[in-house]
Amino acid sequence: MSTEPDIDELLTAETIDAGCSAGFEVLHEYVESELSGGDPERGLPGLAAHLRSCPACRDDHSALLDAAKYFGDAGPSKTPDQ
Amino acid sequence: MRASTETGFLRQWHRPFAGRTAPPPPLESATVVDDVVQAENAGLDEASQAWVTGLQASGAEHDRCLADLHALLLRVARHELMRRAGSIQVSGPELDDIVNQAGDDALMAIKSKVGDFRGESRFTTWAYRFVVFEVSTKVGRHCWQRRPAALEPEAWERIPDLHTVSPEAHTEQRELLEILRAAIDEDLTELQRRVFVAIALNQVPMDAFARELGSNRNAVYKTLFDARRKLRARLETAGHPRPAPIRAS
Repeated sequence: MSTEPDIDELLTAETIDAGCSAGFEVLHEYVESELSGGDPERGLPGLAAHLRSCPACRDDHSALLDAAKYFGDAGPSKTPDQ
Repeated sequence: MRASTETGFLRQWHRPFAGRTAPPPPLESATVVDDVVQAENAGLDEASQAWVTGLQASGAEHDRCLADLHALLLRVARHELMRRAGSIQVSGPELDDIVNQAGDDALMAIKSKVGDFRGESRFTTWAYRFVVFEVSTKVGRHCWQRRPAALEPEAWERIPDLHTVSPEAHTEQRELLEILRAAIDEDLTELQRRVFVAIALNQVPMDAFARELGSNRNAVYKTLFDARRKLRARLETAGHPRPAPIRAS
């Protein structure tokens, strides 16, 4: 490691952290709240804490936010009688 | 967007690792839950309702809806891989292969879980979680299979020289790093040490390291979490308690 590591970043471990599996169950709620201008950190604090310390779920959160922005309004094609 | 019975259940369960001692309470009877679901689905936005109706239909309508969803999942998978292109080395047929596998596996997961959708978000946001997760997992596998020589497993688990701090570093920083290095060696279990060194210090992708261990992301993260708490405790005992993270709000 060529530079001094940020010790607090290395050791982030909040007691309210929900973990990966539980976070996945509500990630869509979190993202939808963000997109609609809500306050997901307040509504889902366990997931917010998790995203602060889990790089893999943070990547997934960014990916879902991006996908929901660009492809969120898609619907299935209409049936012939619609 | 509405809070649902299921969402309330999840929020209650959505507790930290520490203090999670008992399983969640049982849901109400299936009949009651079905009634709640039907009432909630009545409030879905038009596109979400169309997805749910199509996926739960039969015959041509079902097949058409599945094909539409599959095509959409493939687009999202490709978009996500392109978004990650700067951090992963994958292109051409390999990229196509990951896209197709992620899209196929996500579609299977969505088909089996569509009955769990409660309308807490648009259907697409709920569904895209699955393809995003599949892409992550498959990219992790790809990284593990194609890791360069510099990232052989032994290198993943080698503790960086925490003493090589710059001359300008404060004395306290040097002391902290020395305590941390000792705690990694002395306080962590073998598995905790491997996980902390690989993920936190050497920044190995978590899904790739989970693959290395024959484990999964959640289990690896739990190990990392426990390791971090042990290391924080050691620093606190040594007179260097770490502050709680600063919250955005």
